[in-house]
Amino acid sequence: MPEQRRRPIAASQRPTGGDKAIAGTKKQYFRRRKVCRFCVEKIDYIDYKDVRLLSAFISERGRITPRRITGVCTPHQRRLSEAVKQARNIALLPFAANA
Amino acid sequence: MRVYEELFIVKPDATEEEIGQVVEQVQSAIISGGGAVAKIDKWGVRTLAYRVRKQGEGYYVLMQFNSGPETVKEIERRLRVSDLVLKFLTVRIDEKLKRVEKRKKQREARAARRPAPPAPAPEQPVSVPGTPEPQSEKE
Repeated sequence: MPEQRRRPIAASQRPTGGDKAIAGTKKQYFRRRKVCRFCVEKIDYIDYKDVRLLSAFISERGRITPRRITGVCTPHQRRLSEAVKQARNIALLPFAANA
Repeated sequence: MRVYEELFIVKPDATEEEIGQVVEQVQSAIISGGGAVAKIDKWGVRTLAYRVRKQGEGYYVLMQFNSGPETVKEIERRLRVSDLVLKFLTVRIDEKLKRVEKRKKQREARAARRPAPPAPAPEQPVSVPGTPEPQSEKE
C-alpha cells in the first residue's frame, strides 16, 4: 500500500515537526515527522465552540480526519472527535457537507 | 453544584425582546433552582451548518452557570417547549475546567523548577537519526 501523503490544506496549518527524515525501506524518500498540534500549542481544552480550530480537522465533506493523516495524538484525537460531535449537534459544523 | 454551559439557537426572525424573554426564562429557572448565572454571551445571528426547522440561520446564545442537575432538566424542558428555540446543547464543564487548571499548575511548577532563560544549550539532546524524539507534552 502506498504511504498516504499529507493533505495540502493540513500542511499549512500544522507546526513543523523538525526536519527529521525517515528513510523508507526501498525508496529513499523523506517525510516530516508529524507532531500533535494540541501538544505543541499546549491547548488544554478543545472547545467545541471554536469552529476555526475544529474545521482544520474535518474534511471537505465534514468528516473527522483520521489521526494518521493529521498526526494528532490519541488522547487529543479523542477529545477532538468529541468536540466535533458536540459542534455538529448545535449546527456549528455539518454532519455531511456536500462536496 | 456543577458548572454548566448552555448554548441554544433562537429563530433569527425573533425580535430582541423575544430573545430577551427566552434568556430571562432560563435565568429564572437557574435562580429558582438555587444556582447562579456566570455569563451570558449573545453571539448574534450565524449561519447554521445545516438547516434546522427550515431555518438557515440562527441567533446563538451562550450561558454559563452553576447549578444542580435538576435545574438543567428544568432548563431543557423550558427550551424544548419554547417555539422560538431551534436547538440547544448543555455541556457540563466543571471537570474540564478542573483539568485545565491542573495542567496549568503542572506547567507552572515545571517552569519554576527549571530556570528557563540561562543555559539553553544542554537542553538540546543530540538527535540520533532513526530514533523518535521524546515527546515532551503527553497527556
